[in-house]
Amino acid sequence: MGMYLTIASRNLRQGGRRTVLLMLALALVTGLLVFLLALSRGVNVSMTRAATTLSAGHVNVAGFYKATPEDAAPIIQGVAAIKKIAVENTPNLDYALDRHRGWAKVVSETSSVWCGLHGIDVREEKALFETITLAHQDAYVEGGRHAVIGDAQRLSEPDTILLFASQAKRLGVQVGDQLTLRTETLRGQSNTADVTVVAVAEDLGLMSSWAAFLPKQTILKLYGLKPDTSGAVQLYLKDIDEAPAVMAHLREVFADAGYALMDHDPQPFFMKFETVIGQDWTGQKLDLTIWRDEVSFLTWVLTAIDTVSYLLIAILAILIAIGIMNALYIAVRERTQEVGTLRAIGMGRRQVLGMFVLEALLLGLVATTAGATLSAIGALIIDWIAVPIPWPAAQAIFMNDTIRLVVEPAHLAAAIVAFTFVTGISALWPAMRAARLPPITAIHQTE
Amino acid sequence: MTTHTETPEAAPIVELIGVTKDYPLGKLTVPALRGIDLAIARGDFIAIAGPSGSGKTTLLNLVGCVDVPTAGAVRIGGQTTGELKETQLTSLRLHKLGFIFQTFNLVGVLNVFQNIELPLLLQGGLSKTERERRVAEMIEKVDLTPQTRQRPNELSGGQRQRVAIARALVTRPAIVMADEPTANLDSGTGGAIIELMKEINRVDHTTFIFSTHDAHVMSHARRLVELVDGRIVSDRAPDRQAQPEGA
Repeated sequence: MGMYLTIASRNLRQGGRRTVLLMLALALVTGLLVFLLALSRGVNVSMTRAATTLSAGHVNVAGFYKATPEDAAPIIQGVAAIKKIAVENTPNLDYALDRHRGWAKVVSETSSVWCGLHGIDVREEKALFETITLAHQDAYVEGGRHAVIGDAQRLSEPDTILLFASQAKRLGVQVGDQLTLRTETLRGQSNTADVTVVAVAEDLGLMSSWAAFLPKQTILKLYGLKPDTSGAVQLYLKDIDEAPAVMAHLREVFADAGYALMDHDPQPFFMKFETVIGQDWTGQKLDLTIWRDEVSFLTWVLTAIDTVSYLLIAILAILIAIGIMNALYIAVRERTQEVGTLRAIGMGRRQVLGMFVLEALLLGLVATTAGATLSAIGALIIDWIAVPIPWPAAQAIFMNDTIRLVVEPAHLAAAIVAFTFVTGISALWPAMRAARLPPITAIHQTE
Repeated sequence: MTTHTETPEAAPIVELIGVTKDYPLGKLTVPALRGIDLAIARGDFIAIAGPSGSGKTTLLNLVGCVDVPTAGAVRIGGQTTGELKETQLTSLRLHKLGFIFQTFNLVGVLNVFQNIELPLLLQGGLSKTERERRVAEMIEKVDLTPQTRQRPNELSGGQRQRVAIARALVTRPAIVMADEPTANLDSGTGGAIIELMKEINRVDHTTFIFSTHDAHVMSHARRLVELVDGRIVSDRAPDRQAQPEGA
């Protein structure tokens, strides 16, 4: 093996410009793949953060209440008992909270927007306030100060609201302004509540454009609900990857405890109204979901990024493969006499094949490792300096206002292995051609 | 057609029986060898002589198992090469045969030591220590110790041919074929190479079959086979007058 490696490495060095160009192409494509994977992962992380901050726990125990078969409300009654069962039966639980869910028209003096309402208890929401960052006033008020105005902790006061910067901008409001919430109660009556803007947070991508936080009491008052109701018990685990298993376990626990359960439907709660309204039952049914279910309507972003990435990479991989094939084909032609000599002194066909494939693999390994490493370093730097995304549409799609790149060691390894493999496979045809060269070619030139 | 061996008591290590070799050239067929019968004894030192195109290289290719005859049989150590599979032919070349090429044919990216070590690595079975000992021994025998770590492009023609000889001999083959081994060397260097081959033949009893058109080189052979137009026209002891100090 040592001898083959020596021959391979020295032949690569002798390849000069051809080797350098091939390595450069391989390094660039591998680097691009690593960068795109880091971008996809970054969006995924941003999406997870946004989803688990704004609208869902890692596991959610929510449900619907139907007073008649024709209606449906996204509330659960007896929330204290439900929360107790959930907390006691969730392994590796970090913390739990419950939030009210609502949907209302938020009206300012100049504009209005439809918005999802999250009724919270500030004392339970340590992670929410660690994750969101209050926006500078000039981010939502033209000519505003470059300073944070407001205090999210004031959500403990009744009739207050926290908005996100894009909403505040659209509504033309700032901290201290009054808004009116208008919605329909469960009995179909119109109701309103006046709230004061106490804080404006930086956007968290697409999801934050239709989310607002209020005290629970305001939601209860707005919808005319009893105190022991809520929208969902949100469970946060020490390991988010355990969410599917925990949900499955809790489904059994709640079923054993006598609760009626809806079939698992991996969609956000607001997309289930139509289905639930069409069902012929009354009373309460619990609906257990994981965080990914609640943002399934957004996974197209990841799918789109991944599809474009893989398509682009596949096209580049084909071009690279053709380049490698061509370069090695030329190398085989140039080294016909060497191959013939090696065959004449007793090298078998498989060894010749192996020698050329090893050369390609070595080229691939060195180039892809260099490309992947440099790209990873570049991605880490870009992520660290938090390059801003200037366009609101792009911010919404990437779920962040800066380019978020998350480099996973597994992605690095996968990119290196994949393109080294492509290089090896591309070398097979010219290598087989070399292996088939008759040894007589070594001596042919002498007479 | 005449055949000749100086050691008739020994079983021939190489036998060519009615060997014909034709090469297609467009729609034509060019005969390179025509009905060759030749037996070569173990330990012989035989020169194949003849003008360009007489079939010397073709004959060496057939004996060296890098080509197969169109008709007839080539036997190496009793094995008929035409009946062997590709892997068996490769094994035969690796274990029983050694090649010395007119143009040296060294692996340019390997140094002297590595070029000579290569056949041993292909053979396998030897420990690293034993392999290195064998290579060092061969390097010493061909007097290239100071050049051990040099690459072929840093060597003179004579030194390169010495490397080629060492590479051919390091596996201790029964037969060494040398295709015009002195053609690219000056007369002094060529003479030294022939002396080296003779010495190895004398000490190790390795069979040497080499082609040449140099009358001085022929004179060193113990036996001279002359080819013209693919046929053996004579098989005899060489004319010793062309050899200054005798074989």
